Amino acid sequence: MRLHGRCFLIVAGLLCLPAAMLAQGEPGHALIARDVNSPPKPSGATPRTPDGHPDLSGVWNGLGDGLTGIPNQMANDGISVDSANSSHDVVNGAKIATFPLTKRGQDDEKAERAASLLRRIGANRPVYKPEYWEMVKNNDENANEEDPSNNCLPAGIPRGGVPSYIGQTPTYFIFIYPGLGGLIATQTMYRMIPADGRKHTPLQDLDGTYTGESIAHWEGDTLVVDSWGFDSNTWFDQIGGYFHTENMHVIERLHRDGNTLTWTATVEDPEVLLEPWTSTPRVALLNPDPHAILLESEPCSERDLGHIVTKEHH
Amino acid sequence: MRAKITQSKIWMLAATLALISHSAFAQTGGAKPASGAPANPASGDAANRANVLRAAANALGMIRWSDIGAGPVHLPAIDAVNTMRIRATGTVDQSADADYRLDLAYNPPALRVEIAPKGAAQHTIQTVRDKYAWNESEIGAGLVPGKGTATPAMADVQQRLLQLWTLPYGVVKASLAAGDKTTVSTENGATVITFPLSGTLAGVTVKATLDPKSLVTKVETRPDNPALSSLVTETEYSDYADHGELLTDVKSPGHIVEKRAGRPVLDIRVKTVDANNPYLVFPVPPNVKAAAPAAK
Repeated sequence: MRLHGRCFLIVAGLLCLPAAMLAQGEPGHALIARDVNSPPKPSGATPRTPDGHPDLSGVWNGLGDGLTGIPNQMANDGISVDSANSSHDVVNGAKIATFPLTKRGQDDEKAERAASLLRRIGANRPVYKPEYWEMVKNNDENANEEDPSNNCLPAGIPRGGVPSYIGQTPTYFIFIYPGLGGLIATQTMYRMIPADGRKHTPLQDLDGTYTGESIAHWEGDTLVVDSWGFDSNTWFDQIGGYFHTENMHVIERLHRDGNTLTWTATVEDPEVLLEPWTSTPRVALLNPDPHAILLESEPCSERDLGHIVTKEHH
Repeated sequence: MRAKITQSKIWMLAATLALISHSAFAQTGGAKPASGAPANPASGDAANRANVLRAAANALGMIRWSDIGAGPVHLPAIDAVNTMRIRATGTVDQSADADYRLDLAYNPPALRVEIAPKGAAQHTIQTVRDKYAWNESEIGAGLVPGKGTATPAMADVQQRLLQLWTLPYGVVKASLAAGDKTTVSTENGATVITFPLSGTLAGVTVKATLDPKSLVTKVETRPDNPALSSLVTETEYSDYADHGELLTDVKSPGHIVEKRAGRPVLDIRVKTVDANNPYLVFPVPPNVKAAAPAAK
């Protein structure tokens, strides 16, 4: 009898395993099982600090997805998968044919090739001057060798995307970007961004850095972070081979609406770009756990590149 | 002993049920399963049309999904073809031995054809994007002052866009976009898809023939207005394979033969295809925008 009872529990436990696997993830991250990657809808009021500005502080990883994963990269590329039957390009509204899956499971090679395609289907591409078109194409197609952020170097700005943590005072902000393991292993980055009315240091007086020199100000309820003074040893998006010069100028805009934070970055680099490029808006969800913290990133150690089938990032 | 047998049976039951549970999840992934029934090309109903078009897209490697790094997110499959470069050699118009490069995009619709007859100093670059067509003296001409000349060629917008939408991928995309205006039939035992184009190409009907593997083998176009003879085309595709140096599992034809108004204009063998959605852009030069009547 007791044996049967234990076995029943084992059976029940095994039956529940898939659901439990869905709910697991990195500690401190809230995981939400979804079959879409469309931006989360805001809910709740937008809290404000005593000085009246929106309170952007918090851990902005409420969706719990891997930042280099397919859903996020497709979203970053501007493809919103809205349901099992419909998707669209966020930038121009173009409909993308969508097919409910009749099966899951494919070998790693097919999955990698599919991932390479899926991360590059969006219409929102920076337009370089024609003499750089082939260079960008080749960068992207050989990114597993050419990406300057390979081997645990910092991703840089604006490639870092939405900060996972924002600390806010009346006169400065702290942005933290945890390091990423996996396919594109990158180092943890942090930025201390003054918002006290100071001006930029003249560009010629700055030694280029990965995150540049940033200053912030409010335009209404939108925080505008203005950065220059970069070194040229980064690409400005995760996928695409988008190189830049030391004269790149980046303007990030962060807007909180309830429990969501919308981030865009505009890149100006007239030496190589035909026109400024603005990223597809990325929407992060506040971690609903009021006790959420960022755990220490694992020490960055590049171990994937030697096992990857494709030459480009996937 | 009896207790041991019971215990082992229960373990087997547990393992079996767990496997069933995993398999069920793996099959559906939480998404509504589509019909796996084979298409009946003659019926022409919506389900049949969907099955035929899905099979055609699948045969080309257009329907893709991947869960790499997806965590708890399981997305449906989508049409993963946007940009592509095709390099070929063969007969192009009157040039018997020419290098042919086709850069294309479907979102937004654009195409750049570079034709370089072997041994000739001159080569031609014909480009189209949306409502604009122009010729480039060099790739990207007219975008940077002093770097080449872009010559508007608005009269060629339709004919150039037609090249894009009569490629196998264009046929599948346009037939899906045409919705219930797309019909499926059987001719001489082969499945045939017929649909109208829209936008700039409204008034042109496309008829595409599929082989038993659902690959597009023949595409014919007919304009409602018979005076538009340059839009009367017949293109044959064969020798499908993944021609990429970077393999993508996207299939492309290895041999393309096209007639325009009954006259042979293209007979090329494909050398390589970059189907990995490569970086290809088609900005419209300012002077072309300014010259276009479509821009008003």
